[in-house]
Amino acid sequence: MSEPILITGVGIVSAIGLDRAETLASLRAGKTGIGPLRFLKTDHHEFPVGEVPLSTDEMAARMGIPEGQPRTRTALMGMMALQQALQQAQLQPVDIARAAFVSGTTVGGMDMSEQYYLDFLNNDLHNDYIAQHDCGACTESIADRFGPFASMSTLSTACSSAANAIINGANDLRCGRHEIAVVGGSECITKFHLNGFNSLMILDHERCRPFDETRAGLNLGEGAAFLVIETMTSARRRGVRPIAVLEGYGNACDAFHQTASSPDGEGSYLAMKEALADAGLTPADIDYVNAHGTGTPNNDSSESQAMMRLFGSDMPPVSSTKSFTGHTTSASGSIEAVICLLALQEQFLPLNLGWQHQMPDGITPVTDATPRHPLRHVLCNSFGFGGNDSSLVLGSVPPGSYAKGATDKATADDTTTTHVAQRGVAGEVYLTAAEQISIQEGLSEAWLDTPIIYSEPYVRSLDVDFKQWLSPGESRRMGKLLKRALATSLSAMHKGGVEHPDAIITGTGLGCIENTEILLTHLCEEGEENCKPTPFMQSTHNTISSLVSIHTKSHGYNATYAHKEASFDCALEDAWLQLQLGRIRTALVGGQDEMTPKYFGLLRKTGYLGNPGQTAGETAVSVMLSAEATADALCRMTYFRRCYRPSAETLAAVAAEVGAVDAVMTSVSGAATSVTPLLREAASLFPGTPLLQFKNIFGESYTAYGLGIYATAHVLHRQLLPDAMLIEGFEKPTALRRILVLNQIDGKDYTFAILEQL
Amino acid sequence: MEELIQQLKEQIIEVLNLEDVTPADIDNDAPLFGEGLGLDSIDALELIVMMEKEYGIKLKNPAEGKEIFKSINVMAQYVNEHRTK
Repeated sequence: MSEPILITGVGIVSAIGLDRAETLASLRAGKTGIGPLRFLKTDHHEFPVGEVPLSTDEMAARMGIPEGQPRTRTALMGMMALQQALQQAQLQPVDIARAAFVSGTTVGGMDMSEQYYLDFLNNDLHNDYIAQHDCGACTESIADRFGPFASMSTLSTACSSAANAIINGANDLRCGRHEIAVVGGSECITKFHLNGFNSLMILDHERCRPFDETRAGLNLGEGAAFLVIETMTSARRRGVRPIAVLEGYGNACDAFHQTASSPDGEGSYLAMKEALADAGLTPADIDYVNAHGTGTPNNDSSESQAMMRLFGSDMPPVSSTKSFTGHTTSASGSIEAVICLLALQEQFLPLNLGWQHQMPDGITPVTDATPRHPLRHVLCNSFGFGGNDSSLVLGSVPPGSYAKGATDKATADDTTTTHVAQRGVAGEVYLTAAEQISIQEGLSEAWLDTPIIYSEPYVRSLDVDFKQWLSPGESRRMGKLLKRALATSLSAMHKGGVEHPDAIITGTGLGCIENTEILLTHLCEEGEENCKPTPFMQSTHNTISSLVSIHTKSHGYNATYAHKEASFDCALEDAWLQLQLGRIRTALVGGQDEMTPKYFGLLRKTGYLGNPGQTAGETAVSVMLSAEATADALCRMTYFRRCYRPSAETLAAVAAEVGAVDAVMTSVSGAATSVTPLLREAASLFPGTPLLQFKNIFGESYTAYGLGIYATAHVLHRQLLPDAMLIEGFEKPTALRRILVLNQIDGKDYTFAILEQL
Repeated sequence: MEELIQQLKEQIIEVLNLEDVTPADIDNDAPLFGEGLGLDSIDALELIVMMEKEYGIKLKNPAEGKEIFKSINVMAQYVNEHRTK
């Protein structure tokens, strides 16, 4: 067991307070933040909401952001919460520079996209906001205000995003990648998801009443919360006092339905059970549960069943603080974790407002804030669409145990520990199968012998016959991207000989953007009447990963990353960390992005696509990873590391860790010559090493790096390198044994993965 | 009524993207959900949106859909009685 993970700073912004003190005061006073709508521009004034009591301009002013500079509400709330967390943990720029940042969001910059979408398409008035739309951009805006951090990732598992960000950060610490991680999430209310939830008919017209027999849906809320988590060694060395301990966590997939929980709450039961086991606790040790408790008939009944299965007749006090904040969707995991920490510190039970009538088959929530026993261990649940269920166990700090200056030895180890913490982890992971559907012939390696070379700026995917993979009934609601994702996943699982992977992890820059466009177009052109549920449901990024779990009935770990051109990289990193930790033995890692003609037009305006020699494509790639080699395994992965804005010294250190390789497969996009900045940098980091490219064959897309991994795996397996992959001016590699797959994005994000021949 | 039934079948096929189904395949008395056409809760929500858009019928509680979508005959009856356009 690795050393304890301590929480040393938290920040919170929601409808019940702009900081910890205000939040605590509202919780203690039983004062809800839910009320009539004030700031969101929508026709739906009939729904109560939990808005943060500031306009977007007021938030920008507080954060000192000058007028005219692009700002999104989600990013602003994130900055407000992050600032508090960094202050409380006393993190200095030097600490931030070696900390990981993991944030969760689903709406990203949608609050502005939904206002300016028609302008994006028809004129150049608000082009600045096009690049602010996606989730990764939102994470960057939040972090760069205080950064640069050492690495950055964006979770997008709908309403469990922030909880999964906490889990990912904790896995990073347990692996020894970093000593400090700042984790959480942010989400503002948008017209887009207010209408989406309305089309699913799960919004209550009254104040929500979680676990009440008369409950009729949720109230949307908004906010942000971040937690600074760090190893005990780091906290001691820095001399900061821990607030609490992150004792354990679990993530499981309900694998039941895209928008509904199973009647018996299988996914939530498994997540809670795993979290307890991870913390080394039994159900009887839990003193309070902060339930997901949305107030929808379905969630509260399903979650009750799961809790009753886990706790039996010995039910601890349970409440849903969504009755205070509203459902803060992607941010709820970290907001409610901070509420749990306040409860632990102040030793009170948060109330469950609005509850009056006992559900016949449900739990009875907290009605008295005074705990009967001291609060030591609390459980915090966050569930998302697609059955992305996660649970955290937070514990109070045992007196004297992690006190400041408890050891002076830690200080002496300072330099060594820092060095170790910043090193990539070296271990072995096998790629047992890899499949793609892209602008090359799908589910085939024909490109190795006869790659199609395009000269067009934009090409759609060459689809396969999907009937082999899914029935017409199943496919009736699916867009092309979902079909591609399912076909590549099922094929990779089949070839890898795995029926139920321990983890299904997907990277997607934009998710099913075609569906997002349908709903945006409807809202902008027809207004807020008659919005259909299907495009909304499919617009959430995690719909792809959930679909694979639902289709294969896989109840293991499930997560989705949406971090621009590093989306696949984040997914691969998650799998890599968990394989290193032994939390999983097999993982299906996917990279899925589609490109519509309209969105191609928008991304041309940002300078991402449409560049000389570049072909924008579409990606569906699925890779099976395993801790054990199989007879048909393609290669093994022996090194993985991501960095954000690394210094020249850090890059040199990474190059030294990488050592000698036979070739570097680069992410160069468009015209590639030895003077292209990315290639010049690669050539100076790895002198004398042949440089390769794959995007001239597979095209540019947010998850194209997945195709780079896929292609390199097959090159190593077949021991065949298509001539088109060799960059002009370089000698053909003399051997194909060890290849570095390098992703470099705008000189900011770097990913280094080494694949080796078996 | 026959005309309305035919129209509803066409609308259901279109809204739910039932590619391999023709109006003749839908039995007037067969259940639309579970067995029969094998539709699910999202399809029900799609049909609720369709009823509002095409016939001006506004449902407040998704549970009401369960009764209305028992079969094409029941649905046609309901639409006939409650339509505002």
